[in-house]
Amino acid sequence: MEDHNRVHFPRVSSQELTKALGIIEDMQASEGVIDNTLLTDRAHPPVMFGAGGPMLKQFDQSTASSRKGSQAPTPPRSVVGIGNKVAKPDYSEAKIVLAMVGLPARGKSYLSNKLTRYLKWLEYDVQVFNVGQLRRSRARQKALQSGIQEDHTSSYFSHDNVEATKSRDQLAEDSLEMLIQWLKKGGNVGIHDATNSTRSRRAKIEVRVAKEKGIQVIFLESVCNDPAVIAANVALKVSSGDPDYKDLPREVAQRDFIKRIKEYEAVYETITEPHLSYLRITDVGNEVTLSRINGYLQSRIAFYLMNLHVKPRSIFFSRHGESQYNVDGKIGGDSPLSARGLEYANALPELVRKHIGDAPLTVWTSTLQRTIQTAHYLPYPKLTWKSLDELDAGVCDGMTYEEIEQAYPDDFANRDEDKFNYRYRGGESYRDVVVRLEPVIMELERQENILIFGHQAILRCLYAYFHDLPQADLPYIKIPLHTVIKLTPKAYGCDEERYTLPIKAVDTHRPKPSSSQLEVPVASAAREYYGKHT
Amino acid sequence: MAAPLYTTASGLLFHAGKILILTVGLPARGKTHISRALERYLRWMGVKTQVVSLGDYRRKTLGGAQKLPPDYFNLGEKSPETMELRKKVSDGCEKLIWDFFEGGGQVVIYDANNGTRKNRQTLAEKFDKAGIHVIMLESVCDNKEIIETNIRNVKISSPDYRGWDPDKAVEDYYTRIRDREQSYETITETTWPFIRIFNVGEKIMVNNIRGYLQSRIVFFLMNIHNRFRTIYFARSGQSLIEHSYKADSDLSPGGWEYSERLKEFVLEKRAKSLEQRGFNPSDRRLVIWTSTRRRAHHTAWPFLSTASASSISQSSSAPTDGVDHPTTTKAAGSGLNVKVIEKPQMSEINPGVWDGLTPDQARKFYPEEWARFVKDPYAFRAPRAESYHDLSVRLEPILIELEREKEDLLIIGHSSVIRCLLSYLIGLPASEIPAIEIARGDLLEVIPTSYGVHSQAFHFWDGPGRRVDAEDGEVELGYLHKDETNFYENYAEDTKGKKRVTTIDIASLSNGVGEAIDTPQRTESP
Repeated sequence: MEDHNRVHFPRVSSQELTKALGIIEDMQASEGVIDNTLLTDRAHPPVMFGAGGPMLKQFDQSTASSRKGSQAPTPPRSVVGIGNKVAKPDYSEAKIVLAMVGLPARGKSYLSNKLTRYLKWLEYDVQVFNVGQLRRSRARQKALQSGIQEDHTSSYFSHDNVEATKSRDQLAEDSLEMLIQWLKKGGNVGIHDATNSTRSRRAKIEVRVAKEKGIQVIFLESVCNDPAVIAANVALKVSSGDPDYKDLPREVAQRDFIKRIKEYEAVYETITEPHLSYLRITDVGNEVTLSRINGYLQSRIAFYLMNLHVKPRSIFFSRHGESQYNVDGKIGGDSPLSARGLEYANALPELVRKHIGDAPLTVWTSTLQRTIQTAHYLPYPKLTWKSLDELDAGVCDGMTYEEIEQAYPDDFANRDEDKFNYRYRGGESYRDVVVRLEPVIMELERQENILIFGHQAILRCLYAYFHDLPQADLPYIKIPLHTVIKLTPKAYGCDEERYTLPIKAVDTHRPKPSSSQLEVPVASAAREYYGKHT
Repeated sequence: MAAPLYTTASGLLFHAGKILILTVGLPARGKTHISRALERYLRWMGVKTQVVSLGDYRRKTLGGAQKLPPDYFNLGEKSPETMELRKKVSDGCEKLIWDFFEGGGQVVIYDANNGTRKNRQTLAEKFDKAGIHVIMLESVCDNKEIIETNIRNVKISSPDYRGWDPDKAVEDYYTRIRDREQSYETITETTWPFIRIFNVGEKIMVNNIRGYLQSRIVFFLMNIHNRFRTIYFARSGQSLIEHSYKADSDLSPGGWEYSERLKEFVLEKRAKSLEQRGFNPSDRRLVIWTSTRRRAHHTAWPFLSTASASSISQSSSAPTDGVDHPTTTKAAGSGLNVKVIEKPQMSEINPGVWDGLTPDQARKFYPEEWARFVKDPYAFRAPRAESYHDLSVRLEPILIELEREKEDLLIIGHSSVIRCLLSYLIGLPASEIPAIEIARGDLLEVIPTSYGVHSQAFHFWDGPGRRVDAEDGEVELGYLHKDETNFYENYAEDTKGKKRVTTIDIASLSNGVGEAIDTPQRTESP
């Protein structure tokens, strides 16, 4: 290599280093650092490099001269303060068109919703382009502007209806076009939610996407052979306020919808094209066929879909009972429950039995004693997860918010500004927690009834996954103490119930400062009929 | 992830029952590569897994090809004696499979051709009757290059061709394959669940695969490849507050110097080894993974500044449309195509309440915990800390990405993380992880091969932060010995049983712990 990049360090720097290391020793040896009263109290040394202790700041200041950094043109920032912001990972190389294939009422939207939620949570930019939504919103617009009400009953979907077929083809093409434009603008995964039920339609998609460099298409076929599941899907469709069936009696709507399915069935061709890259899901989770799937994101999608199931079940979340640190207003730590926290642990078995009955249940806790204590009286199998431990506050662990603000006011303001991306020095950001929880999510998808005893930050992340809440709001989700949250996955989201026990506890929620009390958008399990992208 | 790496009394995980994976495919289609990689991964997850290789068994019991009757591999009628011999070999392998299952094993990968439908059916039925879940794993390869490389790298170094001229040996091997091709039947039957892999992971097809362990197997297989690449490991440079996790301090002046040296050494080493293999180093991208800790990603900084310096000098001559465009990088001659990725899962092991303490202090303040830690440094978790087990679980997604990465990879990490990743690649048992010594100033080079990996350590730097043994007498700077009290980066090195990873020859890998069959004569290490 050329020599111009070589860095010659002056001898003096090693002396400085010796000095710097000496400073640590001096500080450790000096009376001032190790508080003797603390030592006798706990027989343990205090945390050496806590943000509130004298060492960290003193050390940062005393070694400022030796932090010269690299001689590189733009050296990286050296450490100052107690934290920094982290950037989103670079996903710019992932660009995928995921085209759904399947008859109506086969769970296509269910799969695409699930997948969207998962990928968004992993910070991929995902958007569903639903042809039905586009059709409805265009028809609505037309109706508003010109007063012409288009006929969208089953005859519109008949293959013999030449004009309607043409208009439906046009809709599918427009929707794909919008999707591709969106990908080019920086999206990662665009889901083309349509029936795409014939070979010729799929061939058209393939040809169109092939024109774009760096964009790949995979097909996701949802097959469902269980008549009960189809019937349930049909019932859901006609009863949930679909504008296509507005003002129609239920029986009429149902009959029409079944007829619409028949129209599609007449021309439906399952994927057999050997050159296509596709995934076929039969009866969600029962059987999966993968063909020509390659690429990192694709393999993750496949693995995720392989782990899904639709058996009815509920997921229960609860924070640990009030802990001693909660009472003291300190963050982090591994403190035991307070008296009121123990009361909560005692009251739990009855509450849980009341809402779960005799159904099998598994309890997950973190490795911290406050969650283990909370679960102590529950007569169910228990698992301990290191990944469920609370967000690591690094040097701020064991401090109160007031103490942090006092020691490092700038940093404290920084965190308030962008809480999701803020990483505590020597600790974690919410983003880091999301990454570490990914295997937990995968396991949650596979399992049936689960009760999780977690911590505030952890449950916020999990809750945001199940309700598809945006990142910026995630760190402000309210997860109060002494409350069990029950989530029941449904076709288009999760139903939620909360059971609060009448045991008082401190409020550890810190609302977003300098903004009016931010209310996290209420999640809904209802279907969206018009979409946002129009 | 349930909990990979946990162990149960029965030794069976995931309630998945017992699984027999039959490999199907012509010779030199990468079956062994796939089998070994899968075995390594499943063992890492704590699943008792064993590859039973028909070829190895045959060589062990009957000897090399020269000791076999001439019609052993030929097509057509075989003499009764040859039939007898072939039966003896396959019966022997079947017995090994039964023995392993009976001894508490969970997954057997039967590495053989299994090229005819009848043969597969008989075998599968036999094991299915005993309640063992049978999966076919077909490896199809139509890429001539992969086949040829495979023959040259693996097959002709086998004892079957001892003393042969390489080209003649390749020719002979091709004849052997051609004869098999005539009778080979690809899987068309859907009686058994199957996975078909094209060109070692290029594409994959899965039929009727159910169950958790099975879906993990598929996920893993989707991510492997056998493109030639090198994985380098180096520790991050020395930081200002070495012995604290929380302080997350920046590099010391010595650390910055180290990072410059590391860059030079890696680029030089890599250029040499790529040129030896006939690649142009500037054609290939170097991917660098670091943790999100400052000392780690700042150690990668010199790579970035070199890369940006070379791309600036190019941009004046040609309009660049992205760094990975081959022509633009070639034009600059020394252009460095490098990508640095920070991975939050790669932070070092968290020492919990022991943070900032020296081993002596930890021993003094936490005598009970210390005693337990010394007894089982792999599984013990100090208060608020991570055990090596926790760390291994945390690193699992990284392993998949490690398998998947096709470019040369430099991992700038912490000793605890490198220990875990290296143990996975080499296939060391979990209990040995904490005792591996990873010295600062050594570059570890790991090259995946079909039987395992080839690894070597190169010493490139001495300076502040490198462990120096007292008797070396080379300690010229007074503060060097202080690193010995750096309990935090060297977490667990205070225990006995230090193990230095240097040149590990391939034989010791495939004959590793718990291996029932050995692969003789694969000891020639370059």
